[in-house]
Amino acid sequence: MLKKTAIQKISDLAAQLMQKGTLIAPVREDAGFNFREVSDANQVDLNFYNTLMSPKLAFFPQMEDFVRYQTGKSVLEAVPVEISLKPAFLFGVRPCDVKSFEIMDIHFSGTGAVDPYWQKRREATAIFGYAFDVNTPADGADFYSTLGIGAADPEGSDVFMMKKSDDLLLKAVTDRGEKLLAEMSGLTDATPDDLKYFDETVAAGRSFKTRFTCVEAKSVAKKFEDLFHKTPFWERISDGCLSCGVCTFVCPTCYCFDICDETLFGQGTRRRVWDACMFTDFTLEASGHNPRTKVYQRLRQKVCHKYSYHVRKYGVISCVGCGRCTRNCPVNIDIFSIVDQAMKE
Amino acid sequence: MATSFKQIEENLKNEARKLLEDQKVSLVLAYGRGYDENHPVPFVAKIAADVENIVFNEYCTANMARYLVRYPRGTKMAVAVKPADSRAVVQLIQEDKVKREDVILLGIPVIGMKNSKTGEVIDSKTTCGLYNPVLYDVLLGEEIHGQPVVSPYDVLAQYEAMDKDARFAFWQKEFDKCIRCYACRKACPMCYCDPCFIDQNKPKWGEKSPQSHGNLMYHLTRFHHLAGRCIDCGECSRACPVDIPLYLFHKKVARECEEMFGQAAGKSIQDKPVLVNFRVDDSDKILE
Repeated sequence: MLKKTAIQKISDLAAQLMQKGTLIAPVREDAGFNFREVSDANQVDLNFYNTLMSPKLAFFPQMEDFVRYQTGKSVLEAVPVEISLKPAFLFGVRPCDVKSFEIMDIHFSGTGAVDPYWQKRREATAIFGYAFDVNTPADGADFYSTLGIGAADPEGSDVFMMKKSDDLLLKAVTDRGEKLLAEMSGLTDATPDDLKYFDETVAAGRSFKTRFTCVEAKSVAKKFEDLFHKTPFWERISDGCLSCGVCTFVCPTCYCFDICDETLFGQGTRRRVWDACMFTDFTLEASGHNPRTKVYQRLRQKVCHKYSYHVRKYGVISCVGCGRCTRNCPVNIDIFSIVDQAMKE
Repeated sequence: MATSFKQIEENLKNEARKLLEDQKVSLVLAYGRGYDENHPVPFVAKIAADVENIVFNEYCTANMARYLVRYPRGTKMAVAVKPADSRAVVQLIQEDKVKREDVILLGIPVIGMKNSKTGEVIDSKTTCGLYNPVLYDVLLGEEIHGQPVVSPYDVLAQYEAMDKDARFAFWQKEFDKCIRCYACRKACPMCYCDPCFIDQNKPKWGEKSPQSHGNLMYHLTRFHHLAGRCIDCGECSRACPVDIPLYLFHKKVARECEEMFGQAAGKSIQDKPVLVNFRVDDSDKILE
């Protein structure tokens, strides 16, 4: 099913979704766009390239409360925090970010140990993917075509959207998407011309150029395994790295977290909070020993985890080439260049 | 007439090559090619052949003084310093983190540096606005004179017009955006504590989760740790992915320190840090 609506009328579409449940969509903020739970349909704005933070926060928020307790009281009085199961709509997700959910599913549900928080949110959420503009050059930091992802791939979305001049085309990809589009009012049926445009754009997205280098998963994984002990290489690429957490926090496939007991005036909460392998205390052990005291060891871990260990364990590279880490690095360190240089070593 | 960026790059390469070839230093902290022209990266030249990879252009904003404390004491280093960066080296020498005899300052007079994320020109609004380094061993371009002198504190007018409650509300709103990536402290040449207070858990000074009170604890403590020490390079604000205007608070505290003690951070290696030093004629204003 292919439908369309005027871009100007997306607030109508947003309002309908808000009636059905929670709408999480790109909104304009001080430092750029971000996916946020929308309280006013007019906030939804599709005039963005990509968001600052990745949409993983819809399923895996930076902070997730598990249990609340009072200090000094019995654990039996601790209260687990229930998660709301309202249907949710994640609106305007770029194809590379849609792909990231599939990779994250491996960790949060695919290995047999199911994370109920991720899983329940994921099940409750319909994804509205949104094609990049294939007529405008990609941002210099992007490299999703290196990872085999097109600029307009509908796979993984329930409904896939793209702009066609002043219109927004909406195509149902899954049964859930079909049902959703059928229930929406105010959408018009697409013409054969629209249908042709949709298919052509998906095809154009597959040959769309971002930065590209050949990264066949198995060979890149092997390459990094071989490079592990080449300390001068890792020192060179990390000489400028500040070892802050920007790259991991904006990354759609970084999933490390810490469990913290946080107490204020006797009221305690056990929660998980994003952590980052780039932080000095990430590997600090209770004994005081820290196996990764050097910046190069931490950057090596980050890169090798994504491009080597992840391939060995799960068969896929844990990176979608969205370019966020590169765009937001305070000192312009670029994972694509690291991979590229490693392949030439 | 300011020396062109291209010429400065050439001079920087020549000096670096000479220093490495003569084994005067074991490394040169400079800038190298990034993934495109507008995104250079901090680069460390360790042998003469590395020098070919050095670049210098208007986007080379990183404060290379930040990396000095990463190397063992006694390492002979050369560092490319723009005006604010030279103040950072001076401050590090005052604090005995770096020895004057271990570091060779390759001074770069600059005007018209640009932020690689926004393309905006960087001036006294977010930095100290100096055109020439305050300390150097070699100057890689002509000193810049005749440019309008703008006070780095002019930008505070609007902030200082706010009353106490409005300022608190302003910072609460800004800190609510914080994602606790710690890019600000990691980009800061004066943030060298190991461990940083916020990473300690015995005692635990602030929560790890990005919420109001923990964010406030982290930023306010960091602001005060930098009182009289911030050299106003603006790196923290440029590093911030969510655009918190950290420079405002640092400038405000710097101005108060300067008014109270008649000394700005990192201006002379003869100075002692204001909050470490005691002088009989020190201002008592704070006690009144």
